[in-house]
Amino acid sequence: MRKIIISLAVPITIITLWSFLTFLNFIPSFILPTPYVVIISFFELLVNGELFIHMFSTIIRITIGFLIASAIAIPIGIGIGWSKEIEALLNSVIQILRPIPPIAWIPFALLWFGIGLESEVFIIFIGAFFPILLNTIDGVKGVEKVFIETAYTLGADERQILSNVVLQASLPSIFTGLKIGIGVGFMSTIAAEMIAAKSGLGYLIMKAMRLIDTGDVIVGMLTIGVIGFVINYLFKKAEDRYILWRGKYA
Amino acid sequence: MSNIIIKNVSKRFVSKEKTIKALDTINLDVEEGEFLCIVGPSGCGKTTLLRIIAGLDELTTGEISIDGRVVEGPGYDRGLVFQQYSLFPWRSVIENVAFGLEMKGLSEDKRYEIAEEYLKLVGLEGFKDCSPYELSGGMKQRVAIVRALANDPEVLLMDEPFAALDIQTRNLLQKELLKIWKDTRKTIVFITHNVDEAVFLGDRVVVMSARPGKIIKVFEINIERMRNRVGKDFLKIRGKILDILEKEIDIHISPRTYH
Repeated sequence: MRKIIISLAVPITIITLWSFLTFLNFIPSFILPTPYVVIISFFELLVNGELFIHMFSTIIRITIGFLIASAIAIPIGIGIGWSKEIEALLNSVIQILRPIPPIAWIPFALLWFGIGLESEVFIIFIGAFFPILLNTIDGVKGVEKVFIETAYTLGADERQILSNVVLQASLPSIFTGLKIGIGVGFMSTIAAEMIAAKSGLGYLIMKAMRLIDTGDVIVGMLTIGVIGFVINYLFKKAEDRYILWRGKYA
Repeated sequence: MSNIIIKNVSKRFVSKEKTIKALDTINLDVEEGEFLCIVGPSGCGKTTLLRIIAGLDELTTGEISIDGRVVEGPGYDRGLVFQQYSLFPWRSVIENVAFGLEMKGLSEDKRYEIAEEYLKLVGLEGFKDCSPYELSGGMKQRVAIVRALANDPEVLLMDEPFAALDIQTRNLLQKELLKIWKDTRKTIVFITHNVDEAVFLGDRVVVMSARPGKIIKVFEINIERMRNRVGKDFLKIRGKILDILEKEIDIHISPRTYH
C-alpha cells in the first residue's frame, strides 16, 4: 500500500501541476493543452476508430520488421561469434553500417519500396537488426568454454553444439538484444511514420501537429508510451519463463 | 591387454612471444579396468595430458591409442569430468545426464530410462527434474560423473573433479567413485594434486615433475580397498610421494602446499 502511494506521488504531482498551469492560463492552450482537452481528444479518436487504425498499423509494422530482423540477425550473429572467418568476412561492413541511424535509410526505403508497409518494415528491420546482431555475437563469444568442451566429449558434433549448447547458453544475451532491438525498432518506426507514412502513431502525431491539435499529439505520445510499456512487460514475462537460469551459472 | 597406450607424447604451446614445453616424452600404458591416478605440481601438464587423451588438445609429438584406435578427437569411447562445474544450467538434471544419448539420436523414452538408471547409481533419481543450480557442489559433480558414464565410455577421464568440494564431501565422493568403478569396471584416469586422494583411489599413482611434465615415478598401491587413510602402508607411500613432490616444488619454487 505504501509502495503504491509512493509510486503514484510523482504522476499525480505532474498532472496537478499541469492542470494548474493550463486551466489558469499560465501556459496558453496552443503550447500545452489542458488535461481535459487531452481526455476529449482521446475519446474522439477512440470513437471514430482512428486511434485503433493507427495503433494497429504501427504494431503490425513493428512485429513484421522485428521478426525478420531476429530471423536474420540471430543466425548471422551465431556465425560471427563462432567462426573467426565469418567474423573477418563481415566485420568491416557491420562496423560501418551500424552507426548509421535507421531514419537515415528513409530516402532509400522510399526509393526502393515507396510509401507503405514495405518501407516502414525496412526501417524497423534496420533499427532492430544491429542490437540483436551485436548482442548475439557477444553472447556466443561469452559462452563458457567448459560447456562446449563438455558437449564435445559427450559426442556432440559442431552442428549439434551450435544448436544445443551455443544457442542455449547465449539466450540471455540474445534476449537482451531482442529487447533493445524492439525498442530501437519501435523508435525508428515512429520517426519513419512522421516522415514518410500515411498511417501509424507517428503519422497521427504529425497530422495533429499540422492542425495544431495538441490534444491529439499528446494522445499519440501517451499511446506510444503505453505500447512500449506493454512490449517491455511481455519480454520480461517471456524472459522469466524461458531463461530461469540467467545469472545462475551452475 | 593394454587399454590406453601413451607413446612418446610431448606437447609444446607456441605463441608469438615464447614456446612453452608442457609435456616431455610421456610413455604410459593404462590397463583395461585400471584406476590410475596422476599427481604432480600445479602447471606440470597433467591436465594437458588428460585433455590430449580426451581429444580436446592436440599433441605435438607421439601417439595415444585406446584399444588400438589412435585418438584424433573427442569420442564416445572416452568421458571427461571437469574440475569446474560443467552442468548445462538450461537443462534439468536428467536432461543433462541424457545429453550424450540425445546427441546419439536415442528416443526420449529410451534416453530418460538410461539416464534415470545412472542417477540411481549416485542416489539422485529424486532430483532428476531439478535445475543444476538447485544442487550442492557434491551433487553437481555426481551428476557430471553419471552424465559422462551414461554414454557408456570405455574410459572415464577425471580432471580434479573433487577439488572444489569440502573435505567431508570429497572423501564421501571418493568412496562413491570407487563403488561406481567396481560396478562398471571402467578404466579411470584421475588427475589430482592431492596425494591423499591419489593413494586412496588408485591402483597406481603416477608422479609427474614440474614443467615440462615428465613421469618421475610410478607407484603400485597394493593396499586393499577401502583403504585406511591413516594405515601404516598408506602413510608410507603417501610420505614417499610427498617427498618427491616437495623436492620438485623446492627446485621450481612454487608456493603451493600438499597434503
